[in-house]
Amino acid sequence: MGILNRIREVIEGMAVHGQATSILRIKAQIDNLFMIITLGDMLGIPLLPPYYSLRLLPYMFPNIQSWKLYMLRERDVTDLIS
Amino acid sequence: MGFLNTPAPYVLAGLILYFITYMTYSRYIDRKIWQADPNRPTPAKMYFDGVEYFPVSKYVLFGYQFKSVAALGPIVGPLTAVLFYGWVPALLWVIFGNMFIGWVQDYSAMMMSVRNEGRSMGPITYKLLGGRARTILLVYLVFYLIIITAVFEWTIVDVLNRVTGTFEAVLFVLLGGILFGQMVFRLKWDVLRSTIIALLIVLVGYFLVAFVPAIRVPPVNFLDNPSFLQQFAPYAGGANPAALTWPGTNTALFWIVIISILYFAAAVTTMPKFLLPTVYVGYLPSIIALVLVLIAAIFSPLTGLTIQQTAIKALYVNPLVNPQGGPIWPILFVTIACGAISGWHSLISSGLSSKQLEYETDALPVGGGAMMTEGAVALSSIAAMMVLATPPAGAAAYVQGATTLTSKLLNVPPIFMNLLYGIFVTVMGLITSMLFVRVFRLTMAELFEGSILGNKYVSTIIILILAGFLAFVGSWTNLWIFFGGTNQLLAALALLLVAIFLASQKRPSAYTFIPGIFMAITTLAALAWETYVYGLYALMGKPIGVQAAAAKIYGAALPQVSNYISAAFGALLLVLGIIMTYYLIAGWVKYRREARK
Repeated sequence: MGILNRIREVIEGMAVHGQATSILRIKAQIDNLFMIITLGDMLGIPLLPPYYSLRLLPYMFPNIQSWKLYMLRERDVTDLIS
Repeated sequence: MGFLNTPAPYVLAGLILYFITYMTYSRYIDRKIWQADPNRPTPAKMYFDGVEYFPVSKYVLFGYQFKSVAALGPIVGPLTAVLFYGWVPALLWVIFGNMFIGWVQDYSAMMMSVRNEGRSMGPITYKLLGGRARTILLVYLVFYLIIITAVFEWTIVDVLNRVTGTFEAVLFVLLGGILFGQMVFRLKWDVLRSTIIALLIVLVGYFLVAFVPAIRVPPVNFLDNPSFLQQFAPYAGGANPAALTWPGTNTALFWIVIISILYFAAAVTTMPKFLLPTVYVGYLPSIIALVLVLIAAIFSPLTGLTIQQTAIKALYVNPLVNPQGGPIWPILFVTIACGAISGWHSLISSGLSSKQLEYETDALPVGGGAMMTEGAVALSSIAAMMVLATPPAGAAAYVQGATTLTSKLLNVPPIFMNLLYGIFVTVMGLITSMLFVRVFRLTMAELFEGSILGNKYVSTIIILILAGFLAFVGSWTNLWIFFGGTNQLLAALALLLVAIFLASQKRPSAYTFIPGIFMAITTLAALAWETYVYGLYALMGKPIGVQAAAAKIYGAALPQVSNYISAAFGALLLVLGIIMTYYLIAGWVKYRREARK
């Protein structure tokens, strides 16, 4: 990696990275709602007719494992500092 | 002798020593104690969720870590220490403190978190020491945040009052930030185009204020009578009455209300609406200002700027003569709150950076490297103070010193650099303290879930009133020592926690335990000293330093109440600190004993 790219990345880290992670967290909260609506019937909460759930399932499938990790993680207030 | 009489050799010596430490001691600790292995999966890879846990380039993380740790601490702390004790003790602590304690804490807290599935300080404390220790840590954090917000608030007030035109220029930065947020998130415009527009707004504000003197209103102390304030001036002979600012005066109250409105907006609105775009737009010019002052310090032999400050001013300041100082140990060690070592860094290291490290071996450049770069910022702050013969107290001294250094180097009129550094200090202070207020709100929501105290509006108003009151009445140097004491005690607790973790893993822990004990004793002594000073002046019914102005305007009871509150805060933090230190030392002894079995 060239020196200019390194400098660009350092500046990106200073100015943008915090913003990017914060937006990802907000996006994750919206995704949570979508996941719950889509997979609700599998959890015993029939929010969406199974026809649509099954149509959407292939698109949701790749994210289920990481979503599960994100949802089930224990969180502490000291995690929110950064 | 000419070269040695400039700040350059001392700044260069510091940089070289940091480099040697990084290449030798740091690498030894990284390889032998922690045995960082690029092939061992990090939490970012093991628990990948694309939200909090995902691998990020070490350069991006370095930038993020540096931005999160370096704010006003490494700037205001060193210059206050130079003001009271001289530049040599301040320089020595910034260099050697960082070499043997500062980076150790940042790096080790990050590695401890990496080896604990990316957990932050709270859960690790719970895991190693139990629930009571974690609750004490959270309560400690609440008081720490009130004090840190108060001192940053006062620092911003000081700059707004003394560096005319800063407020108007900062308004343009805030406007640029808000518009950037709207352009990117609401109008879905391209980031580059939005950035250019936002920076143009900042530049327009900057040049407008610099070129049109009429815009530089309101003038300093526009709500107070300067001749009345003159009688409280420590440098009565040479001070310009119009450039004075004191706690408790009407102008200070005006700025505190303005700042509180900004804090409130940042705490209760969603992050992308106000706080994050402001950080983005404000930080881009700040990077230039930061680098420029360091370059100007190194090139000071070419500009002919020489050291104007006394090398060693005092080893002991009698509290009855001047309550804003104290004995060089422990006061100097906590006055330089960041730059040498800071507890806030351990929260950042274990908060997000540890969850996004791509390789274990990145922890050293990210954690250790960012701390040593912060040390360079502290060195530049000392250099800025060195070239001033009669510096004002507070952050305005940095603005004045940095202006002297850089305007000479770039050969531009001082007003441009004065305004740039006024904006720089104000924006750096604002963006960090807006985050403190937000974290306080979240911590209160956690501690008082379901209660009125956990409500986001109520908890925000609580911190704004408490911090505003302490900033308004309290003499800022004493509050700064309180902040330094609590901040560095947090660092000591982090170092001791790392020592416990290493002992539990049957690894050598002396390299963090010894600095941890040193910092714990130093900070507890500093907290005890400041509690004594506040208590003494509260009992005597006398104002501390420039609180005299508040006493004269609003009556003696006001500073007295503030001093009683400060003494109570100090006593509480001292007790909490002693309990936590006891828990940690007992934990270390227990784990060491178990490891030997």
